[in-house]
Amino acid sequence: MDFFVKNLWGEDIPSLAGLRDKGKISFAEQGFPTIKTEAWKYSYFQPEDLGILQADVSEHICGEDCHCHEKQDLPFDAYRLKICNGNVSGHHFDFPEGILVKSLAEAIYDGDVKNYLNKSFDMNLFPFAALNTAYLEQGLFVCVERGFCADKPIYLNYHNHAEKNIFCNIRNIFVVESDANIVLIEDFNSEKDGQYFCNTVNEIYIGRNAHFRHYKKQNESAKAHHIALNCVNVKQNGTYTSFCHQNECIFARNETYVKLLEEGAEAKVDAVYKLQNNGHSDITTNIRHLAEHTVSNQLVKGVLSGNSKGVFQGQIHIAPDAQKTQGYQLHQALLLSDDAVVDCKPELEIFADDVKCSHGATSGDLDKNQLFYMQSRGIPYDEAKQILIDAYLNEVYSHIADDEIRQWIQKK
Amino acid sequence: MVDRPEISDNGGDKYKYGFVTDIEAESVPCGLNEDIIRMISAKKNEPEWLLEKRLKAYRHWLTMVEPEWAKLSYDKVDYQSLQYYSAPVQKAKPKSLDEVDTKLLDTYNKLGIPLKEQEVLAGVAVDAVFDSVSVATTYRAKLAEKGVIFCSVSEAVQNHPDLVQKYLGSVVPYTDNFFACLNSAVFTDGSFVYIPKGVVCPMELSTYFRINAKNTGQFERTLIIAEDDAYVSYLEGCTAPQRDENQLHAAIVEIVVMNNAEVKYSTVQNWYPGDKEGKGGVYNFVTKRALCKGKNAKVSWTQVETGSAVTWKYPSCVLAGDNSSGEFYSVAITNNHQQADTGTKMIHLGKNTKSKIISKGISAGFSNQTYRGLVKVAKGADNARNYSQCDSLLIGSSCGSHTVPYVENANKSAVLEHEATTSKISEEQLFYCLQRGLTEEEAVGLIVNGFCKEVMQHLPMEFAIEAAKLINISLEGSVG
Repeated sequence: MDFFVKNLWGEDIPSLAGLRDKGKISFAEQGFPTIKTEAWKYSYFQPEDLGILQADVSEHICGEDCHCHEKQDLPFDAYRLKICNGNVSGHHFDFPEGILVKSLAEAIYDGDVKNYLNKSFDMNLFPFAALNTAYLEQGLFVCVERGFCADKPIYLNYHNHAEKNIFCNIRNIFVVESDANIVLIEDFNSEKDGQYFCNTVNEIYIGRNAHFRHYKKQNESAKAHHIALNCVNVKQNGTYTSFCHQNECIFARNETYVKLLEEGAEAKVDAVYKLQNNGHSDITTNIRHLAEHTVSNQLVKGVLSGNSKGVFQGQIHIAPDAQKTQGYQLHQALLLSDDAVVDCKPELEIFADDVKCSHGATSGDLDKNQLFYMQSRGIPYDEAKQILIDAYLNEVYSHIADDEIRQWIQKK
Repeated sequence: MVDRPEISDNGGDKYKYGFVTDIEAESVPCGLNEDIIRMISAKKNEPEWLLEKRLKAYRHWLTMVEPEWAKLSYDKVDYQSLQYYSAPVQKAKPKSLDEVDTKLLDTYNKLGIPLKEQEVLAGVAVDAVFDSVSVATTYRAKLAEKGVIFCSVSEAVQNHPDLVQKYLGSVVPYTDNFFACLNSAVFTDGSFVYIPKGVVCPMELSTYFRINAKNTGQFERTLIIAEDDAYVSYLEGCTAPQRDENQLHAAIVEIVVMNNAEVKYSTVQNWYPGDKEGKGGVYNFVTKRALCKGKNAKVSWTQVETGSAVTWKYPSCVLAGDNSSGEFYSVAITNNHQQADTGTKMIHLGKNTKSKIISKGISAGFSNQTYRGLVKVAKGADNARNYSQCDSLLIGSSCGSHTVPYVENANKSAVLEHEATTSKISEEQLFYCLQRGLTEEEAVGLIVNGFCKEVMQHLPMEFAIEAAKLINISLEGSVG
C-alpha cells in the first residue's frame, strides 16, 4: 500500500533501502489491524478513515499566522527540539557536551545507529512500526553519554499546523549510556483542527544504572490519528519511568513495550486519558521481565464522557527463570456518560514461580454517596463532581516526580 | 468382587480410573461424513427435524477452522480417524437397573458410583453415560411424581420432542464455535432435565460420563430447563481409561433458567490427564452456557478441573433477565504436562444483573494454565455489578500461569472489579506446617486445599470430599 509518493532521503544507501523494503513487505503481510487482530481487537480503524495522506515537503517557511517557531511558554527551563509537520526542524541543537543530538538521517549517515535502528522490536508483531520502517526518514537520534546527568529536561515539541492531511512518520532513537540520567518531555500539539496521521516509534536504550524519565503530553487536533510505539530496553539497575497524558483525539494509541533485560532493571509506566466527545484512547503496555529481580509498576486511569471509548491492554510477561520479580498493574476507568465505553484486558503471562504479580481493573461511575455528601455541605453538583474527578486522577499525577512538569501536564 | 484394574500404563501414575471395561460395543465406522451422521441418527431413531439440524451443523462445520487463540499447544485431532458412535451392546433398553448388563454396573462400582446402592442410600439420581449412550438413569419414578423429567437426551427426543425442539440449540447455536458445531452434528447422548413450574427438585441430579472405547470421541449434550420458581442442583463427573493416544471429548451443556428459578451446576472433571511425559490423555473441548431468561433467575457454575491433557472450557452466563445473577467458582489444577485454558463469560444484558467470578488456578510440574474470562456489560444493563477474583499458585519453576481477563463496559452505572494475583506457596506457611510435623507433600496439600476453600464450599458435600482428595492426588509428585 502506498500512502503517498515522495522521494525519501537515502534511497541510494543499500542497507537503508533494504530495511525500508523489509518494512513494506512486513506491513503488506499484516495489513491494517482488524477486530480479529488480538493486539488491536478494541482499537482498529479502516484505512479509508485516514483519508488521502501526503507528506509535507515544503521548506517550512511558516505563514504569519503560525506561531510554530515562537518559543512556547513553558514553566520550566529545557533543551528544546522541534518536529514540525513531521519534519525535524534543524536549528535547535544547542546542547551541552554529553548530549549528542542529530537528525536521524545524519545519524544513519554517520553510522551512529547501527546497533540501535530497528533492533528493539520485531516488525511482524507491530504493523504500524513496520509501516514506520517502510517510510523511515524523519526523526532524531539522541545519545546521553556515559555518566552525564543533564541539568534540565529535553523538550521535544511535535507541532502540526498543516492545511493538508499530513502523514507524520517519525522514528526517534534515544540512547542513555551507563550511569547517565535524563528527562524527556514529548509534547504533541497542533495549530489547527486538522486531520493528519501521526505514526511515531521511539527506540529507547537504557544502560546500566542509567535513569530515563519520559513524559508525554498529547493534546492534538480532535481529528488526528495518533499511533505511538515506545520500545524500551533496560539494562542492569537501569530505570524507565514514563507518564503519558492523552486528550481528546479521534484515535490515539500509546503502546509501551519494555524489556527488562538484566537484574535490577525497573519500569514504571503510568498514564491518564481524558475524553469528552468522540475520542478513542488506547493505552497498551507490555512489560517483559526477562531477568531476575526486576520490578514493574503500572497505573492507568481514564475519565470518559460523551461518546468516547477508552481501551487498556496491559501485559506483564515473566520469562522462565526470571525469579524474584514483581509486577503490579492497575487500570481504573470512570464512565460519566451513557454512551461512553471502556474495554480492558489486563494480562499476566507467568513462566516462573517465585514471583509476586497482581493486576486489577475497575470501572464505574462516581460514587453517589460522595457526591451527595459534598452537595449536602453546600458544594454545587458540578463542582463536587470536578473535585472528585481531580482527586481520582491525582493519584496518577502524583507519581510525576518533577513538580513543574506535573503542573504543566495537568494544565490543559 | 471387583478385580484389580488392568492398567496399560505402569509409569506409577495414581490415576485409579484408568482401567478398561471389556464389553462388546456397537459402533459406526471411523470417519465423519453425512452418511455417518445419517447412520447415527438412524441408530437413535431420530425424527427428521433433528437429522436436518445435524446436517446443517455439519455443513457449517466444514467451513470452520479450529480455533488457535488459546494458549494451548497440542497435536491437532484427525477428525476422520475418530469413531463417532460407540455403544455397549444391550439386548433391549433396560427398564430398571436389574436389567442393566452387570459388566456395566461393575464398571460404575469400580468408579465409586454403585448405581444400585446409590439408588437406595445416597439419594442422588444418576444418569450414567458410557461412551456414546446413556446406560441407566436411576430414581426416575420418584422424580416423575414431582413432574421432573430426568432422562437421556435420546429418550427425551422420543418422549418429549416439543421441549427438545424448543430448547435444543437455543443457548448454544450450532454456529457458536468449532467444537460446538461439531457436537451439534454428531452428538450422541447426554442428560435431559426439565423442572416444571414451582418444583424444587427433591434430590440432586447427577450424570457420570465414562469414555471406554478406543479411538472414540465423546460428544454429549446436556440440556437443563428450569421453569418459573424451579430449583435444581446438578452434578457431573467424568473419567476415562488410561490410553496412550489422545481421546476427544467435545460436549455442550445448555441451561435455560426462567423467572425466579435457580440452577446449580457442579462438575468434577477427572478425565485421564496423560502420563508423566505428557503422553495420552483426554482433549476436553467443552462449551457450557446458561441463559438466565427470566427475571431473578440464578445460575451458579462450580467446577473442579483436575483431569484432561488439554482443557478448553468457558462455562458462561448470559444474564438477560432483569435482576438475574450468575456465579462461577472454579478450581483448576494442572500437573506434569497438562494444559488448561479455562474461565468464564458473564454477559450482562438485563438491568440490575450481578455476577461473581472466583477462579483458583494451581499449576505444577511442566503444566501451563490460563484463566481467560470475559465480563461484558451491554449498554442497557443498568446497575450491573461484577466482581472477579483470579488467584494462581505456582508450584515448581517449570510451570506457567497466565491470566487474560477481558472487561468490556458500556454502561456508566455498572460497577466492575477485577483482581488477580499470582504467587508461589508462602515459605512461612510451608515452614510452619513442616515444623508441626507434616511432610512437605501433606503441607502442600493442606495449603492448596485452604487456597481452594472458597470454591470448594460451593460444592455439594459428597463432591467436596471427593474433590479435596482429588486435589491431593493430582499434586502428588509435584514437590520435592
